[in-house]
Amino acid sequence: MKAYIDASLLAILKEKFPSAEYDSEATQPAVYVPAAEIVAVLSFLRDDERFAFARLENLTAVDYKTYFEMVYHLFNWTAGVWITVKVKLDHEQPMVASVTGVFPGAEFEEREVYDLMGVGFTGHPDLRRILLADDFEGHPLRKDYVQIMPPHVRRIEKGGR
Amino acid sequence: MPQTETYTLSMGPQHPSTHGVLQVRLDLDGETILKATPYMGYLHRGIEKLLESRTYVQGVPYTDRLDYVSSMNNNLGYCRAVEELAQIEVPERAEYIRVIVAELNRIASHLVFIGSLAIDLGASTGMLYAFRDREKVLDLFDLVCGARMTFHYIRVGGVSADLPPEFAAKCDEFLKVLPEFMQEYEDILTGNEIFQYRLKGTSRMTKEQALSHNMTGPNIRAVGIPFDIRKVDGYGVYPKLAFDVPVGENGDNWDRYRVRYLEIYESAKLVRQALDGLPEGDFMAKFPKALRPPKGEVYSRTEGTRGELGFYIVSDGGPKPYRVHIRRPSFINLQGLDDMCRGMLIGDSVAAFSAIDPLMGEVDC
Repeated sequence: MKAYIDASLLAILKEKFPSAEYDSEATQPAVYVPAAEIVAVLSFLRDDERFAFARLENLTAVDYKTYFEMVYHLFNWTAGVWITVKVKLDHEQPMVASVTGVFPGAEFEEREVYDLMGVGFTGHPDLRRILLADDFEGHPLRKDYVQIMPPHVRRIEKGGR
Repeated sequence: MPQTETYTLSMGPQHPSTHGVLQVRLDLDGETILKATPYMGYLHRGIEKLLESRTYVQGVPYTDRLDYVSSMNNNLGYCRAVEELAQIEVPERAEYIRVIVAELNRIASHLVFIGSLAIDLGASTGMLYAFRDREKVLDLFDLVCGARMTFHYIRVGGVSADLPPEFAAKCDEFLKVLPEFMQEYEDILTGNEIFQYRLKGTSRMTKEQALSHNMTGPNIRAVGIPFDIRKVDGYGVYPKLAFDVPVGENGDNWDRYRVRYLEIYESAKLVRQALDGLPEGDFMAKFPKALRPPKGEVYSRTEGTRGELGFYIVSDGGPKPYRVHIRRPSFINLQGLDDMCRGMLIGDSVAAFSAIDPLMGEVDC
């Protein structure tokens, strides 16, 4: 990531959404917003002409064992500027509003996060598993996921045959 | 007008024209497509999870298996992300070699596109010509790294070996014959009436549709938006080299073909400039063998053959990445398939699958 959003613009964002938090010391601070406000923040970032982040380049989630983190990378093509927006989610029941209403191109990526990470999206037009089979149990990208060996594979213990 | 019953036809995953194991369910009214829903995952290997269990350097060969007809571009994307995370400075000679191999691979990949588009439309001769010429590029890669696919040539910090002494002459020879075989496609395919009839005006897409589906690569350039990350971000040594970004006008399948066709010439231009300007020096940076990037995260993207190839890597300071997410362009481009197929006939859906050019290794990851 090359040019990151200006600190003065981040202050404007903070003024508009007082619950948004970021580390003002860091060089490229990610903006943390509450799960309830993600759709409002993203549509503000897209529509306000001072920000004009018209492209959602990447959407994913990370499992930090005690909580999940949704990551949104937005890009303003005219100014060549980036912003990273993050949402912390509960580990027991991760739920967040779908951003497909703001960026329709997020549809498959949200389905992928739902499939592999087990994060639920409210308001998604077609929330189904996308890569794994419909009857698959569990979410493989979670850190506590245990791979079940196929029945024909036998693990050889160390030192023995 | 007589009403017919709507019914569903499943194309794939074992269908000769779906480019690997893509399944598309078509809702049909007679022969007109009402809705096309892609189903994927038949080639899912869990590469993101696999990368978490390997060290950063061991992860490179896994990226070869994403988009397996342009592996060099995947290696480049992953290595650039790791280098940005670990703050490794790549020697200039390595950057130039990377441009040469990545652009040669883009040529090879677009030749596969032209060949498979031709055979999907019934022109099996066109396919034979394109694969014949792709072989010339693969021979060059054989010379460089000993492999014809899944190269693992671009490594973290540079490239695995310097270019062999005879490479420059062989590559020069290839660049000389390139305009000749490109002219052959012009005669066989571009000028062919059936080929034109099948592609012109089919699967049209507006700029707004392409943007809303977040399409990238030749698919967005075909609708007239010059979004090319080599220009937008200007990474590596691309800002020092001169090249144009071909764009289409109508956003139909014909423009998708033409954009890729013209990109082959642009890539050849880049290879020529990089070969001529190749500086002396090291081909590999010096960095500790047990790479432990500092705690942090990075989202780094390059222009892959099929669009924006992004790697999001989170490091916890250990020898293995904590999380790797790959933004695969083919996967996201498939969102546009529905809009491209609606209102078309079943036969045109085959052209649409081919023109969007998804690679299932990358879609399913």
